[in-house]
Amino acid sequence: MRWLALAGLSLVALALAVVLGPAHVALADLGRSPIVRELRIPRALLGFVVGGSLAVSGASLQALMRNPLADPFLLGLSGGAGLGAVAALALHLGGPWAVPLAAFIGALVALALVFRLGLIGGAELDPRVLLLGGVAVGAFAGAVMTAIISVSEAAQLRNAFLWLWGGLSGASWDTLLVLCLYVPVPLLVLLASARPLDVLALGEEPARYLGADVTALKRRVYLAASLLTAAAVAVSGVIGFVGLMVPHLCRGVWGQRHRALLPASFLGGGALLVLADTAARVAVAPRELPVGIVTALIGVPLFALLLRRWTAT
Amino acid sequence: MRRSAPRTYLAARLLVSLVLLGACGRTGDRRAAASPASGAVTVTDDAGHSVTLPAPARRVVSVAPSSTELLFALGAGAQVVGRTTWCKYPPAALAVPVVGDGLNPSLEAVAARRPDLVVLYRSPLNETAAAQLARIGIPALVVKQDRLEDLARAARLLGVITGHPSAGDTIAAAIDAVLQGPLHPPSSPPGRVRLAFVVWDNPPMVIGAGSYLDQIAGLAGGVNVFHDIGSASATVSLETVAARDPDVIAVLDDSTPVGEPAYTARPEWQVVRAVRQRRFVHLPADLFGRPSPRAAEAVAELRRRLEAWQ
Amino acid sequence: MDRDLILALRDVSARYPGAARDALTGVSLDVRAGDFLAVLGPNGSGKTTLVRMTLGLLVPATGTAEVLGRPAAAWPRRDLARVVGVVSQREENLFPQRVRESVLLGRYPHLSTWGGERAEDHVAVARALERSDATALADRWIWTLSGGEYQRVRLARALAQEPRVLVLDEPTASLDLRHEMELFELVRDLVDAHGLAAVVVTHHVNLAARFADRVLLLDDGRPAASGPPSDVLTRATVERVFAWPVAIEPFDGRPQMIPLRKPLP
Repeated sequence: MRWLALAGLSLVALALAVVLGPAHVALADLGRSPIVRELRIPRALLGFVVGGSLAVSGASLQALMRNPLADPFLLGLSGGAGLGAVAALALHLGGPWAVPLAAFIGALVALALVFRLGLIGGAELDPRVLLLGGVAVGAFAGAVMTAIISVSEAAQLRNAFLWLWGGLSGASWDTLLVLCLYVPVPLLVLLASARPLDVLALGEEPARYLGADVTALKRRVYLAASLLTAAAVAVSGVIGFVGLMVPHLCRGVWGQRHRALLPASFLGGGALLVLADTAARVAVAPRELPVGIVTALIGVPLFALLLRRWTAT
Repeated sequence: MRRSAPRTYLAARLLVSLVLLGACGRTGDRRAAASPASGAVTVTDDAGHSVTLPAPARRVVSVAPSSTELLFALGAGAQVVGRTTWCKYPPAALAVPVVGDGLNPSLEAVAARRPDLVVLYRSPLNETAAAQLARIGIPALVVKQDRLEDLARAARLLGVITGHPSAGDTIAAAIDAVLQGPLHPPSSPPGRVRLAFVVWDNPPMVIGAGSYLDQIAGLAGGVNVFHDIGSASATVSLETVAARDPDVIAVLDDSTPVGEPAYTARPEWQVVRAVRQRRFVHLPADLFGRPSPRAAEAVAELRRRLEAWQ
Repeated sequence: MDRDLILALRDVSARYPGAARDALTGVSLDVRAGDFLAVLGPNGSGKTTLVRMTLGLLVPATGTAEVLGRPAAAWPRRDLARVVGVVSQREENLFPQRVRESVLLGRYPHLSTWGGERAEDHVAVARALERSDATALADRWIWTLSGGEYQRVRLARALAQEPRVLVLDEPTASLDLRHEMELFELVRDLVDAHGLAAVVVTHHVNLAARFADRVLLLDDGRPAASGPPSDVLTRATVERVFAWPVAIEPFDGRPQMIPLRKPLP
């Protein structure tokens, strides 16, 4: 059955991520190796949670904005996070958590700004306003970020862009723990909104007529999806493609009903990102590829395949 | 215009002084040392373009810190009329007006200095810039500056084009001498300090064989554990750093001195023994930040610091 | 005979926020079980506003709008959706879906947040499909349906809500003759055979006259006339409201409107 296959895929992905890597670790040593225990395992799990969160967020936003091209990073969050990270670096804020925390706060500020923009003039989170607001806030943040980097003294700021490109290099058990404490709440909110999101696909007025509290639904979904994305960006930078494509891949198999689509997207996104990260680590060892490139390289052919099968029926 | 008048005057005075100093004799060609050689000069730069000037360059804008340093070392400091914000060595360079930060040269700012030559380091973006400069009639020299032998070649090129060919030869010879040092591409006999240059932590970026830092490490008696990577720098997985287990991590200290790098406190970096045991070597940026004519000094300095960790 | 009063608007007036004039003024209507009410009027006469008002989406400035005795705006939305089934004018369908899934959405007001679909939900869907003559379409993709078929599916979805009253806003707007007639016959049959009430907002004066029991004619937000079709659709009234000369001819016991030609000045 489909769910078994997806669960199986997830387990395989996690297993491969633990067993494979640029550093050679013999199978017999897997349990004892610090590389496996402190680096690979938390990284695999973190990748799963991040990938799953991005995919669920993407699916929810696609339903909310009624736009199949919606993506978790459309709402200015990546710009806000980048600005936060760069500000932390420019101000030489100390501590190992300074950058992720600053990135998270930056993303929250962007979220609040776009939310506020979405409420102007009684627009009530009109998807088009959200989209434009997100683009505007993101562009503004990006401009300020570039300005800071240009005028700043520290040469290392130029490397800040590398962080923004995305990657799971910062994975550790601590990071994983924090994320796992944080993620369930917005995730549950989105899962609980699965049915109303189904009816929202008909349009706001028809959804109201069917009994959905559309205003509250939009706010809930926007906030929960954005909070998930903000955490993902703070922890792993901007990993594109997962939030956009995984929901479509899952729709091809599970259909449009969000009660199935959201959990499937979580597992699918998690598996995809973990597989992509393993490939990113191993493909050109000892070098490492940016994981966003690999997600695109894997995902696009998959999607083309699915599209063919789907339009043929 | 009025602002640059005193500079031009200063430059002229410096030039005269240099001429007189030059006349007092240098090792090498006496004839050329009498004054910056006059007459047309032609060189082929590292992009394969032939650059011809009717006379040695009088007003050079240097868009890379190593070229700036090199120009001053050649005795052509007075001919430098533009630098980037990062060109801070030697101290005399600070007096030269800034035209940008070098990454994406503002051609207007460069052109405003009315240069007769612009020196760029070799990168795809800069090759476009060079073409654009050529279109507005400003000759541009593209110079590779990744490894020490590039610097030797650059010294000869810049020496000729600024009219200090003998100084160029001297510097190039000095660098060749350093390179000829007792150690060639390092094998790993026991007792040599294994190090890694970590320039960024997330994602981890290290220096590879394509960089002068790798060369300096080898010449100083160390081994760059990432010597197998051909490029100047590369992103690697953290587990690779952990697996290669360098004895010591070399950190380039910026102008702002920090204690230990920020990632020292991060949990995932503790898997790397050198981080766990706080085995860091801090290298001052002005000596190690770019390939410099003071390579010999850099090698000696690094050798000294590595001995502490042997 | 005292059938249940399902919808009741009493002397309602309403204005959209920021509008210069009232959208509706002094409108009243009653809908009881087994009624077929048609709402007619030129563009902008307030027909859709009336629909929104009965569903509590717009609060009356004066007067009351009640559903089963309670103000419409006070009803929890889910509960209201179990009483009133609406087929709105416009609907989007962004993601591909099969007919059965689309009709199942009509069960939303009956389902809990976490619970799954129960047997009774699937039965309701099957019944709804049957009643709107759409059973054969159940496994088709929505995008493959013709206009008439799609409207039947939307009707089925509204029926899946198991409402007591159906409200249809311009249901035949882009349908051809056959599908128009079929839809009205379907609604009439639902009212007669299954005791539903129906409120149909439409442009089609003649169809409304043939099928509806009562007609409410709106003119610029005000009620021009209401009652049985033959009382409402008189020549004088129709000409005044629609600002065009017409002839009224009886057919099958119902008045039919025939617009006359009027050469341009």
